[in-house]
Amino acid sequence: MKSPDCGIPSAGAVADPPAEALRLFNEHGGAIYRFCRSMLRDESEAEDVVQETFLKLLQHLKADSVRSNIRSWLFTVAANACRDRMRWRMRWLPWSEEEDQRTVPPNEDDEDRRRARATLRQLAPRDRMLLSLRANGLSYREIAVATGIREQSVGRLLARAVDRWKRAVDRRLV
Amino acid sequence: MGCLTDVEVQTIVDGEATDQSREHAATCLRCQQRIDERRDAIREIASAVNAIGDVPAELETRVHRAVTSAPSVRGSTVLRRTPRPSSWRRASWMSAAATAAVVALFVFYVLPRFGAPTRLSAAQVLERSLQTLANTTGVESLDYELTIDGAAGGPFRIRHLIDRANPNHYRVASYGADGQLRTAVSQDPVHHQRTHAIQVDGRNYFVRIDGIHQPVLSLPQMAQALVESVIGMMQATADPTLTMQDSPQGREYVVETPQVKPSGAAATLDLYHARAVISAEDFRIHEFEGTGALLKQPFSVSFRLIEQRVIAASAADFSLEPGPNDVVLNGVAGDGPLEELLTTVVREMERTGGR
Repeated sequence: MKSPDCGIPSAGAVADPPAEALRLFNEHGGAIYRFCRSMLRDESEAEDVVQETFLKLLQHLKADSVRSNIRSWLFTVAANACRDRMRWRMRWLPWSEEEDQRTVPPNEDDEDRRRARATLRQLAPRDRMLLSLRANGLSYREIAVATGIREQSVGRLLARAVDRWKRAVDRRLV
Repeated sequence: MGCLTDVEVQTIVDGEATDQSREHAATCLRCQQRIDERRDAIREIASAVNAIGDVPAELETRVHRAVTSAPSVRGSTVLRRTPRPSSWRRASWMSAAATAAVVALFVFYVLPRFGAPTRLSAAQVLERSLQTLANTTGVESLDYELTIDGAAGGPFRIRHLIDRANPNHYRVASYGADGQLRTAVSQDPVHHQRTHAIQVDGRNYFVRIDGIHQPVLSLPQMAQALVESVIGMMQATADPTLTMQDSPQGREYVVETPQVKPSGAAATLDLYHARAVISAEDFRIHEFEGTGALLKQPFSVSFRLIEQRVIAASAADFSLEPGPNDVVLNGVAGDGPLEELLTTVVREMERTGGR
């Protein structure tokens, strides 16, 4: 699976970093936002992480850092931020199912999709992260970088995550 | 080759399979069926993730604003330190002291009423802050140590007494490291009295004002005004960090905003850096330090809470009583405390012929 080309040079100065950051936000902001929403299950926290991610991108662009695969870099930064927040949240408050339910849009029309999302939210954070990254088209190598998992293990862990998701969907259908 | 394992099926769906797996899948109907099932599952998951929708318009605006107004820093993690002000004039100190008092009220009086934060969203926490003042009754006593960068005679011990049922009823006193009273102000709205105390060259001067008008802003109200300013700043600031630490006082949370470079065009209130240490047990602020500028006047202050308690109104003593050797001046009510003080001093100088 190939990641889309980010369209900016792999090194050297960017003439207008804010403009470049906004262009990349227009290109990848939606995917990063959906990823953060599915990870954090909270709209306002997801928005915070998206903003943090693109501010870090701005600094990254200004710093003449390596920019060979910005899309993968963005997911890595967002995944780290989500992990930090989930870790922090677990210290403060256990996740409550009631609160979780409030994040489901009330007008979600497709029953299968609603069930798929609800089931996704039930999974462990690592499974959710792997499936969300996979759903966003990241390669095994990119998923490995974003999650800190060995590349050779990604396929196995993804297969298990899909199995757990399917079993949970089946339980909901019963 | 035998039938594919689940992992091999997964790698085929993900386009990461080996040639050997692909060759087997092409000839095995059973494995092909498993691949199709797994592909459907992945498609369903992707559809669920993508059903979340696109970036909300508010987020788009927010990111645009944040990116175009981000401070100029270099590197992903490098934040430049704020240069300290080269010197502090007395006027600066006075301004810093006033700012410190207001910030301290914000830290020890307003923030603890937030309750346990459930999210790291500054907006959500701060929104609640605006409803926290004057919601309860009783008299609160705050005792803390204040350090003002560049001020002689510090650190100072500050004692606040605030009637939460009536924010215009308060007493604030500061004591030097030697334990001597430095400045104090007490206000009694019931008797329309305000008393100022200040020590000059080892002597205490008291200025009593009777018949005061309704004050424009009391100290707690100033704190609330500050909260509103801080809300604006925090909403525009990214990356506050949160860490945990274990101290002799128990587990604590440390919230810190990144150091930012002062911009040329200073706003009414600029916060360059702030750090708060919060008890994990009851969410009280144990320590606070901040640098910034108020009305373009730089300040650098830190507080350490020594004691905070609620006492019975009947046991609270808001008065400021002069001793036998203290000088007492009677002033006339004006539009504000500063004007009253100046008017009183000028009249006294005129009365004594400038001696």
